[in-house]
Amino acid sequence: MISGLVQILLWQGLGELVSHFLLPIIPGPVLGLIFLLVYLLIKGRVNASLSLVSDAFSQHLGVLFIPAAVGVVLFLPQLRAHAWSVIAALVVSVVSTITVTAVVLRFMAKGDSSGS
Amino acid sequence: MAPDALKIAEIWVYLSGSPLFALILTLTAYQIGHWCYLKTDKYPLFNPVAIAVLLVAICLFVVDMPYQTYFQGAQFVHFLLGTATVSLAVPIYRGMSSLKARLIPLLVALLCGGVVSIVSAVGVATFLGADATIIGAFYAKSVTAPIAMGVAERLGVSPTLTAVFAIVTGILGAMLGSTILNLLGMKQWWQRGFAMGTAAHGIGTSRAFAVHPEAGTYASLAMGLHGILGALLIPLLKNYL
Repeated sequence: MISGLVQILLWQGLGELVSHFLLPIIPGPVLGLIFLLVYLLIKGRVNASLSLVSDAFSQHLGVLFIPAAVGVVLFLPQLRAHAWSVIAALVVSVVSTITVTAVVLRFMAKGDSSGS
Repeated sequence: MAPDALKIAEIWVYLSGSPLFALILTLTAYQIGHWCYLKTDKYPLFNPVAIAVLLVAICLFVVDMPYQTYFQGAQFVHFLLGTATVSLAVPIYRGMSSLKARLIPLLVALLCGGVVSIVSAVGVATFLGADATIIGAFYAKSVTAPIAMGVAERLGVSPTLTAVFAIVTGILGAMLGSTILNLLGMKQWWQRGFAMGTAAHGIGTSRAFAVHPEAGTYASLAMGLHGILGALLIPLLKNYL
């Protein structure tokens, strides 16, 4: 487990460095993700320690954004003033995103009849 | 009576000054949220994060603690977001094997879905007269929350509002997704799952897994790819719009 965590932290550190000095527009952790993904694709397998840490994170990813999300209390007056536009924007966006993705995918995959 | 009250006040001052209080509050609230989620058979409306945020907010209001003080303690949890983002590489890697055969359709659908999610949200909000802070937070909201917050920071918009919109988007997608896909007559599990993951990231993905394992695999692939492409392309798109 520790070796998996060390690997992830090292990739994150490399990502932060590259983000800071070379590609400031992309967040460091995302670069770390890309580096780790490329590394895994080259290596061809995930070791047990890494998958243990990664599964633990993805299972309870939600707990990590609670501290930031609680910050919504600072925006309550603004959100209340624009409640209807926020709700409308979110609902319209979700419905249209699902619809467009599904329809485009079905259209693009017409030849793919494997159905698996 | 008075010395007791004084003692309690002293303990309170001591506790609220250390990160312990914020950490206990955050994790306990999540634990309660997770329990409610399991008890309601994983119904999307009882999202553990949404419940936890509500509980923490109420608690801070009751004990009259400013958000900044809470965050000072809770930042240790917050820091791990970056680490968790990097670890998303593992599930994406696992989904890659199914990607190869269908690369082009999946990428085209993802790009169309991603652009529509931004344009529709920003368009509707602008049309209805929301202010710039709120509109800015719509850009990354369909991307999985940890990446969305990183992108929001780079865009100079509020990571907090982005995270909240991302969570609400996920809940809405998980609740409405099956109905929309049924109305469209979508029959293939992989297509249904991919649409869910594109629109509703992590929360939609866990919904997709609950419905069908193949839908779940494709949903997590969509979530991961949307995260990577979103981080690369959303800053460009925002400059262009």
